[in-house]
Amino acid sequence: MIEGQKMKTGKAKFAGIFALGVLAIVAPAAQPVFADQNDRAHQVGAKLKCMCGGCDQSAAKCYHVGGSYSGPCDTAKQEIKEIDEQIAEGKSDDQVLQALIAEYGPLAYVEPPKSGFGLVAWLMPVLYLLAGTALVIVVMRRWRKRPPMNAAPAVAGANSGVQVTPELLARARELAQRETED
Amino acid sequence: MDVFGSFALILAFVCALYAFAGGIAAIITRHPLLIKSTRQSGMATCGLIFISTFSLVYLFFSDNYSVAYVVSHSNRDLSTFFKVAALWSGQEGSLLFWSFLLAIYVFSVLFVYRNKNGELMPYVGVILAGVQLFFLTISNFVASPFKALGVANASGAFDLVARADGNGLNPVLQYPEMVIHPPNLYSGYTGFTIPFAFALAALLARYPGEKWIHLTRKWTMIAWCFQSMGILLGAHWAYAVLGWGGYWGWDPVENASLLPWLTGTAFLHSVMMQEKRGMMKVWNVWLVFLTFMLCILGTLLTRSGVVSSVHAFAQSNIGNWFVGFLCIVLGVCLAAYFKNRDYLKSENQLDSLVSRESSFLFNNLVLLVACVAVLSGTLFPVFSEWFTGSRISVGAPFFNKVNIPLGLLLLFLTGVGPLLAWRKTSTESLKRNFLWPSTLGVTAGGVGFVFGFREIFSLICLMLCVFVASTIVQEFYRGAKVIRVRTSANWLTSCLDLTLRNTRRYGGYVVHLGMVMIFIGLAGQAFNKEVEKEMPVGSTLKIGTYELLLQSMDEKQEKNYVAERMIVEVMKDNKPVMMLYPERRNFPTNQESGTMVAIFSTLREDLYVVYAGINPATNRPTMHAFINPLVKWVWWGGMVLVMGTIVALLPNRAAAVVLSKAEAPASTRELSGMRPAQVTLREGHD
Repeated sequence: MIEGQKMKTGKAKFAGIFALGVLAIVAPAAQPVFADQNDRAHQVGAKLKCMCGGCDQSAAKCYHVGGSYSGPCDTAKQEIKEIDEQIAEGKSDDQVLQALIAEYGPLAYVEPPKSGFGLVAWLMPVLYLLAGTALVIVVMRRWRKRPPMNAAPAVAGANSGVQVTPELLARARELAQRETED
Repeated sequence: MDVFGSFALILAFVCALYAFAGGIAAIITRHPLLIKSTRQSGMATCGLIFISTFSLVYLFFSDNYSVAYVVSHSNRDLSTFFKVAALWSGQEGSLLFWSFLLAIYVFSVLFVYRNKNGELMPYVGVILAGVQLFFLTISNFVASPFKALGVANASGAFDLVARADGNGLNPVLQYPEMVIHPPNLYSGYTGFTIPFAFALAALLARYPGEKWIHLTRKWTMIAWCFQSMGILLGAHWAYAVLGWGGYWGWDPVENASLLPWLTGTAFLHSVMMQEKRGMMKVWNVWLVFLTFMLCILGTLLTRSGVVSSVHAFAQSNIGNWFVGFLCIVLGVCLAAYFKNRDYLKSENQLDSLVSRESSFLFNNLVLLVACVAVLSGTLFPVFSEWFTGSRISVGAPFFNKVNIPLGLLLLFLTGVGPLLAWRKTSTESLKRNFLWPSTLGVTAGGVGFVFGFREIFSLICLMLCVFVASTIVQEFYRGAKVIRVRTSANWLTSCLDLTLRNTRRYGGYVVHLGMVMIFIGLAGQAFNKEVEKEMPVGSTLKIGTYELLLQSMDEKQEKNYVAERMIVEVMKDNKPVMMLYPERRNFPTNQESGTMVAIFSTLREDLYVVYAGINPATNRPTMHAFINPLVKWVWWGGMVLVMGTIVALLPNRAAAVVLSKAEAPASTRELSGMRPAQVTLREGHD
């Protein structure tokens, strides 16, 4: 009993230390987010494609390797500047986004649109998950109905009083071992 | 030396052809001498590929600027270290390098099993030779790395010329990570050829039992480990070099490397179903086939320019060859499957929905859904062009939205799966195994919420990370306690002892722990901050709790480039913390420039400073600073993951321990009617 209690306090202590550890990691990340117009420009820029035609990145995250240098290309920089200016005019994020999409065309939005053919992109993963889950359920049902093929003889042999031969025993042992080890 | 190299390459082609065609004849005739000679021909192919690769490296070292490939990827001032990397910095070289790594695997397999598995090995040899034959065809006849430099003369014929110096290596590739990232990734890609060959061979030969799975487990794990390292090193390269503040941008090529990793991970888990319970045989075979095909598809995506990409420096029209090869592979796999599918009949039934079996099913489901979702997202711009005539962008936000929930689901299964018993898990055992971990997880979530953690996915991720980590710690604790009772050793020794006795299981836990750490790092992304500012010398930029003072600028002449540096003092609470030197490097040889990011990294967060260049209008330098919380956890998690894989590859240390009255690890307790004496059987086996 005392042993048990000791163990419990030990576990509680461990839990406490663990929680503190977690806190030490979490706390710094939870400081108030530094607000800056530039930061906002980058956030909006992350939703717009870099329109240089040579990469598939967003304007804010353009890293454009392969050309003459790495880092945001001039097109991306120009887009960020434009966003920054429009934010300075007092537009909301969404207004800025719409203005730039109107200017550069629908391709400028990094995500597929949630209408028309773009909707297909969004539906695909959901469809996969549903189809996959359905498949797993079907498979499970089939497996549950299936008679055990190699476990049966050993078990049946033991129950019906049939002579337990060394071979049967060895086979049952082997099976048990295979199914218990990790 | 270039003639020597290309001669070795063509000889390798001939040997591979013999190993392939002769191998088929050997399978039909079963003539022992023919079997032996094709095997040796397979080994010779590998040897010749080694020779050919080394001669290309020699051409780089000896600054032989009469070879086109050397001219376009090296120059005299390039350091020796990077001359090695120049080997795989372009199309032709990386294809040869691919053959080289594949040859290492093939040689090892042919050598290790030269006197074993007589029924299976001829098939394996033929399949491996077939794959080698494809790459050798390309290296010999489509994209030869030994092509001499030529200039068209007046009559239209080519004159051979030699240059005094080369064009130099692409600056973004001149980083240490670029020397180790491609070999790792390629070792992963090529490594999956081995399990593929064994799976296909076992199917073709109707090889009895689970032998091929036992044979390939180590090879698969090695390939998987390299693939993981390759992906992470690539991410680290992107982070430390490209200067956009992130490490994963869902670029098509990044996606291409992730796809076989996802299916490979699924395979590593689902093979256990076959080993223990004789289930999922068809699935396993197809998972390996799929993994291999995704490796080829990855190369296709990288090389063909079907999708625009950050890796654009290695593009060409070689894609058609890969499409052809992919079709052949798929055709062979389908044919083998339909001919011999009765061989893959499953043995066992499912006893309970709450069991290890079903957790593996869901693990595979999630991994495969993620894989297919990433693949179709990557190809979607192409689809939309086909169907509607205009491209639709599918960028990082799409992939994040789709994959974050899947990732969290997977993380949850990482915690739950290993603690469920095979066949059936009782409610009592669920309580015993999950009470503490879930309490800790929920507590951590609560603590996070109280401290202003409001990003829903990060909060869930935090809870799950704590949950999974505590299940792992609990397993080690329980296992070690059993050992302590017997040996009265200390905790550390007991844990070590425990791990060495069942390396596969506890190594697996360590890998899971590495994944948890990576997830912690990924969750930190939700709190990234960045500021970009044009600033005169002497001014400061404030980001998070840091103040960055631009003290001065200077210029540094190095052998191969000129570096413009910012000298930045980092202050925290008005106290200097350290100095940072973000650079821009200008390479005169090829008129290119690159960034060199300065990072102050702690477990808590990275301060990431980029010198973004000089604004020509104002002539002032621009600084781009980021605070990226918890990034270091990703890299450290990667190291833990690799360590875990190595542990799992070690053979078990035999032990004669009887699990006594103390608590036994979770999965052994469910066996009704099992006496401790019987339970000891599990010791000493993996």
